[in-house]
Amino acid sequence: MIRRTRRPAPRPALRAVRTGTALRPLRHRLSPSAVEDVPFRAGDGVRLGLTRIRTAGRPAGPAVLLLHGHTASSDMFLLPETRNLVDVLLDEGYEPWLLDWRGSCRLPYNETGRRYTYDDVALYDIPGAVARVRQEIGDRPLFAVAHCIGSLALSMSMAAGLVPGLAGVVSQGVFLTPRLAGRTSLRMTLAGELLKSRIDHIPVDFRTVGFRSKYTPLFALASRRAECPDPTCQILHNSAWGTGASLFVHEHLTRTTHDRLAELLGPAPLWILPHLRRIELARTVVRWNDGDLRYRALPRNALDAAGAIDAPVLLLSGSENGLWLDSQELCHRVLARRQPRLDVAYTEIPGYGHLDTFLGRGAALDVFGHIVEFLEKRR
Amino acid sequence: MGEVNDAPADAGAARRTAEEIEGGGSGLGVAELLAKVAAASRPPAAGADPGPPGGGLPGAAPDAGGGSPAAPSVPAFTGGPDELASAIAEAAGRHLPDGVLSPDADFFDAGGTSVQAVELIAALGRELGVDLPLDEVFADARPRSLARRWLGAADPEAARPPTDGAAADPGAAVPPATALPVPAPAPAVSAPAPAGRGATGEPAGARQEDLDQILADLSLADRLPWTGPPEPLPPRCILLTGATGFLGSHLLLDLLRHSDARVYCLVRGADEEAATARLGEALRGYALPWSAEVRRRVTVLPGDIREPRLGLDEERWEALARELDCIVGVAAAVDFLRGYPSLRRSNVLGALTLAELAATGRPKPLHHISSIAVFNEVGITSMGEDDPLARADRLIAGYDQTKWAAEVALRRARDHGLVVTALRPGGIGGHSRTGAYNPQDLSSGLISAFGRFRTVPAFRYLNAAPVDWVSRVAAAIVCEPDAWGFDYNLTGVPNTLDDVVRDMALGGMHVRVQDWDEWRADTLERLRADPVPELEFLTRVLQSPTALKLCEATLKGPAAVDERTAALVRALGLPPAARYDARAQQRTFERLSRDGLARLPQREDPPYLWFPETLQGAVRPVGSAADTPCSLALTLSLASMYQLVTERRVDVAGELLCTALHPQPLAVERGDVWVRPEEGIPEEHGMRHPLLRYRLLLRDADGGRWWLEGRKYARARRDLWRQTRALTVDIGRQDGPPLLSGEVVVPADSYLRDQVDGIRVDPRLTDREKRAAKLTWLAWFGAEVGRGLLGPFARAAADLLDLRRDQTPREHHR
Repeated sequence: MIRRTRRPAPRPALRAVRTGTALRPLRHRLSPSAVEDVPFRAGDGVRLGLTRIRTAGRPAGPAVLLLHGHTASSDMFLLPETRNLVDVLLDEGYEPWLLDWRGSCRLPYNETGRRYTYDDVALYDIPGAVARVRQEIGDRPLFAVAHCIGSLALSMSMAAGLVPGLAGVVSQGVFLTPRLAGRTSLRMTLAGELLKSRIDHIPVDFRTVGFRSKYTPLFALASRRAECPDPTCQILHNSAWGTGASLFVHEHLTRTTHDRLAELLGPAPLWILPHLRRIELARTVVRWNDGDLRYRALPRNALDAAGAIDAPVLLLSGSENGLWLDSQELCHRVLARRQPRLDVAYTEIPGYGHLDTFLGRGAALDVFGHIVEFLEKRR
Repeated sequence: MGEVNDAPADAGAARRTAEEIEGGGSGLGVAELLAKVAAASRPPAAGADPGPPGGGLPGAAPDAGGGSPAAPSVPAFTGGPDELASAIAEAAGRHLPDGVLSPDADFFDAGGTSVQAVELIAALGRELGVDLPLDEVFADARPRSLARRWLGAADPEAARPPTDGAAADPGAAVPPATALPVPAPAPAVSAPAPAGRGATGEPAGARQEDLDQILADLSLADRLPWTGPPEPLPPRCILLTGATGFLGSHLLLDLLRHSDARVYCLVRGADEEAATARLGEALRGYALPWSAEVRRRVTVLPGDIREPRLGLDEERWEALARELDCIVGVAAAVDFLRGYPSLRRSNVLGALTLAELAATGRPKPLHHISSIAVFNEVGITSMGEDDPLARADRLIAGYDQTKWAAEVALRRARDHGLVVTALRPGGIGGHSRTGAYNPQDLSSGLISAFGRFRTVPAFRYLNAAPVDWVSRVAAAIVCEPDAWGFDYNLTGVPNTLDDVVRDMALGGMHVRVQDWDEWRADTLERLRADPVPELEFLTRVLQSPTALKLCEATLKGPAAVDERTAALVRALGLPPAARYDARAQQRTFERLSRDGLARLPQREDPPYLWFPETLQGAVRPVGSAADTPCSLALTLSLASMYQLVTERRVDVAGELLCTALHPQPLAVERGDVWVRPEEGIPEEHGMRHPLLRYRLLLRDADGGRWWLEGRKYARARRDLWRQTRALTVDIGRQDGPPLLSGEVVVPADSYLRDQVDGIRVDPRLTDREKRAAKLTWLAWFGAEVGRGLLGPFARAAADLLDLRRDQTPREHHR
């Protein structure tokens, strides 16, 4: 006989009194001695993660700062199950630096509601990390490879002139001119407005919320017309946190990566949506904080200030990018007409979506070759 | 259906053109060279003879019976077969990259191209008085057989050589054809040498000597070693041949992506460095990556599929037999003009060598890329995966014969224990994402001709699939042990005639359907009248009787059935086959037109759709307040819907009247309107989103040049009706700064009258097509403008929503 069980009372969270923010450990297959965790706080005192990967017995080459996308983390560049970007960069003689900015799922900020906007990332996280890396590497060249929102925030930092002198920037997915599908944008606004008084983040791991939770309808919605039965995959691949976009081409992930998605991509905070919406409707990266003088270093509109970009830029995008569509091609066209002085190239990766350009099993063959070729030319 | 095309030039005009070409010019065009051959073969007395009528290969059909060698313009060669063979070999050597050709080596195998073959024929006629039809040369291009053939045609007694082909083959593995227990030849094909042609000159079946050779080659399979089943594991070490080809290069990348294997690529080249360079060049040419990441998993083996042991030394061969756990044979000579003897070393003996390697040492599965051509018999009723193949004696093109022979030989190899998978692609279309295509493939030529001449032949089905799908499925089969050992049709979803016609109409290219013979004659006529160098190979195919049989069988054949492949695709979760439709072909078509094969509708062509637009207003010098009236009378037109979808651009013609510029009207030299330019991103921070952008280059009556840049803006204001009509303009002299600025507006009363009622569509379209074109344009333009107008309002609404208080409860999480 099945007894009716009482619903367990939620366990209260322990209030952090003496401890600070701790980063979840990275998962990789490098030698532990090669991975150095560099203590790092952003300009406004927020604890972030900065990791340096070295190779023993080789003269240090140019440094490459890797910026993940929002809700992802540095783990996306270190997948142990495939040949990842860090492997490729190490083999080619570069020194990868991994920044976990405040949107990383290795940090708790997305979930616990210590709010921020992308202004903070562009003003504090990225310039702070660049300065910190430069302290360590001296006058060796420094490149940046950025994905999704990491790249969007980097474009703002660059337009503000906060990270001068980069040797080259590879931007994946989106740069100065974000464009979402109309449907995605509408659903994002609708869901955001309806849910904002009820929840503050959208989880991706069904196991952490259980079957009976207020998130269940979201998962149910995400499973509509889904081919994969995994709820995490559904909410990411089939729905991109409820917006209806698709984050990757399903076939491109290995089984292991697929099963680790909940670890690779964390919950998405809802309170970031107003800034994202403002950016998307303006079709350019715009500042959120208009009245706050602390942010005056950032331009109101990054595209208007794009003349300040002083590094060569390679715009990458999968031809099947289901989230940012053809934003990169658009950006290339717009910059070619409005800022012909800038050194901007565009490369489309045929058949790839958004996240699989880094997580895909064939990313080394199809994507990283373009990145390394770009870096080699400007080494 | 209306007349989309101009009527084809009449035959008389074409003949005149041909005669003009014949008279002078020393270019390399096939038409000219053929004309020269024809001229050389004609007796001087018959010089005024207009030659064969358009449509037939000059010299081929009527002369094949053997009349003309008796009356050459140059004294005919009088030596014996050996001397003639040496003389031909010497002449042929001059047309080859290496400069020499042995009398027993095949001209094409030695690197000769079809164009060079045509040149060679012209040279033989000119210098030796030896006049050979082009088809004979393509069928067997060894100097010794050419010599025998010509002498045989002159003297039938000398026609039959003691042994044909075997002794000449460097492989030397073929027993003499006469020693084989050859069944009695079918009466239909027992026509006398040189070929089994019917009285009309049309080939009725395979030539007897080719059939003998095929049977001899099949028996080679019996000499393969016995072997056991391979380990049923995904491969770790693959040998791939044909990696520099179209399918092979895509398959190489898919094998790397979807397995962890190291891939050995057999590539022709003097040494490893040269072969590697060739592979890299091929991959780049097909828009595939060739980075350090690809190179670290590929080992290039310089070798040749046509040589015994693949041209590898014994040590290498033994090592490969031990190490490899999978062989994928893609390499093949794809040429629809050459005959069986000329293709068999690549396509049949090569496959058997791979089978030998697969059966030697550790047992390995052999995955053989066959072709749907094994069914290429005119009148075949079904093309299922397990259906019987065509009957060899009814296959006419050498290519079809070799693919048939290879597959049948490998079926026999299965009886020796070898696990052989036969993968049969149909037409392999361009990549649906990159547009990379195979310039030598028949389908590239046909698609280009369809779009260029706006006609299609009435076919039943086109069994074609894009290369990315074919290669993905092939790679999946190679990596899945449970899939090994069966036959698969990698043909995708067949296109019907209706599908193709509708797809092209969607792109604004309305085609008309013709009967196959009519289409062929018409297309040849047009290609002759206005030669397209990039389509020369199509011209050749359409002129060759054997290649025509191949085309005919392809176009009139049934739809291929791919049940086993479809089941496999479902089981492995691969992308299901989709029809190779307009969207999948778009990139390929763009590339074809960029390379000069196809042609996209251009601004200069008669427009597809057009309508007038009038704008009135005033401009004033920059920094002044004195208004001058300004008006524009424009015609907006589209060459095709394609430019809307890809560029969102409309062409503009017309004139501008403004006395501040010139007392006379200024003509628009070139004008464009972009709808929602750059996705409506504001020019500067703010809420003014561009809705339309006009860019006109003007020329005044005195030859002065001006530019006009105008924009319609969407704003979050209630004057929407005006926003769609008001154009803010700047005008300046060419390459100069703006001198005048102002605003011109489409008068409210003429807007709908001109731009809806005033729409005109290409009169050559049918009424239904006209209505469809008009509605498509209005729907597209309405949607775009609606979206543009909505943008600023959405931003204003978002600002309002941002005022809502964020009363987020601090969530608890477990």
